[in-house]
Amino acid sequence: MKIPSFLKPVSGVKTGAVVLLSSLLLSACAMSPTSPDGSEDVRAKLTQLQQNPDMMTHARVELRDAEAAVVLAEQPVDDNAVAAHRIYMADRMVEIARAKGKAGSLEAERELLGEQRDEARLAARTREADRAHAEAESARSSQAQAAALSAREAEELQRQIDTLEAEATERGLVLTLGDVLFATGSAELQGGTNQNLEKLVNFLKQYPDRQVLIEGHTDNVGSAAFNQTLSRQRAESVRRFLVNRGIESSRLSVSGYGFERPVASNDTAMGRQQNRRVEVVIENKE
Amino acid sequence: MTIDPIRCAFRRIGLFTVLMFATLTLVACASAPLPPTESLNAARDAIASAEQAEARQYAGAELEEANRHLAAANEAVAAERMAEAERLAKQARVAAELAIARTEAAKAAAINREMGRGAEALDEEMQRQGDQQ
Repeated sequence: MKIPSFLKPVSGVKTGAVVLLSSLLLSACAMSPTSPDGSEDVRAKLTQLQQNPDMMTHARVELRDAEAAVVLAEQPVDDNAVAAHRIYMADRMVEIARAKGKAGSLEAERELLGEQRDEARLAARTREADRAHAEAESARSSQAQAAALSAREAEELQRQIDTLEAEATERGLVLTLGDVLFATGSAELQGGTNQNLEKLVNFLKQYPDRQVLIEGHTDNVGSAAFNQTLSRQRAESVRRFLVNRGIESSRLSVSGYGFERPVASNDTAMGRQQNRRVEVVIENKE
Repeated sequence: MTIDPIRCAFRRIGLFTVLMFATLTLVACASAPLPPTESLNAARDAIASAEQAEARQYAGAELEEANRHLAAANEAVAAERMAEAERLAKQARVAAELAIARTEAAKAAAINREMGRGAEALDEEMQRQGDQQ
């Protein structure tokens, strides 16, 4: 009985040692399965991406794969090569998720840009169309104005021609000045103003680009030479009158036809009177 | 007691079978594990895809890394370090995939920049037209 009583304290020491050792071993066991170095960094990167709603939208699948890879990399493993490999894989998969998310965000942004650009383009086109429309409108109205103007001009010309009592022929407007202008056998214009000549002056001033032929004609009384000279002198008289009234002489040409071109019979006094005349031909505008 | 010849034959066959199995097992252990053909092919395919996507231009470093891993994997196969070869092949593949992803992102960014410039030009154009009016 002595021995066991002696042994008791010894056994107590032993037990204490065993307990201490085993607790040390246990704590060593509890501490040893730590995550490999470097896995925290990958986890941090992944967490950062997971907190970004853009990434969650555009790289959902890639983030899930990366999560699985990071979880694997966090597993304790004896082989350092395997640990390094797993961390490498996890890191690259996190980066893939980041790139996918970025590409997705850019594409979404592009759609927005495209919409904005379409809007801008539409606005530009609308403006262009409006302007083209306005231009066409104004062109039309100016055309109409021009047409109205030329119609008014034509009307005015006709009115002038009517006033002149001229006759429109192929050669132009022919105004016949009767022999009442001249004393018999004389080439001088009779004094006082002649209304027909005044109208002619007005007309020529209004249409300054028209050339004028002044032709003298007589009846068949007297010699041809006399009549030819007389007809020419009478035409010259009219020309002088016109030049005196401010018509450029370059516009006026003169010829005397004597009795070559009768308009009526010279057998009657009436016919002879009609043949004694000066014709003013206002040439048509080319 | 005479020995039954049939029983004796059976015993011999049994011994032979055991020996056979043992030999086969030993042979299997001695021969190297198979190369990670599947992983190597996957890595090569991924690298080819990356090159197709013009990764050389947009993510040259990543593509280079993938090629480096693949070369190392092939060396490991030659040295019959198959586990290492498998890991390297997988790393080559994931690097190539990263090259592709970064290429896509870079391309998207380039397109957006171009569109932004286009929109600016259009804005300017419209501004000018507006001024003319």
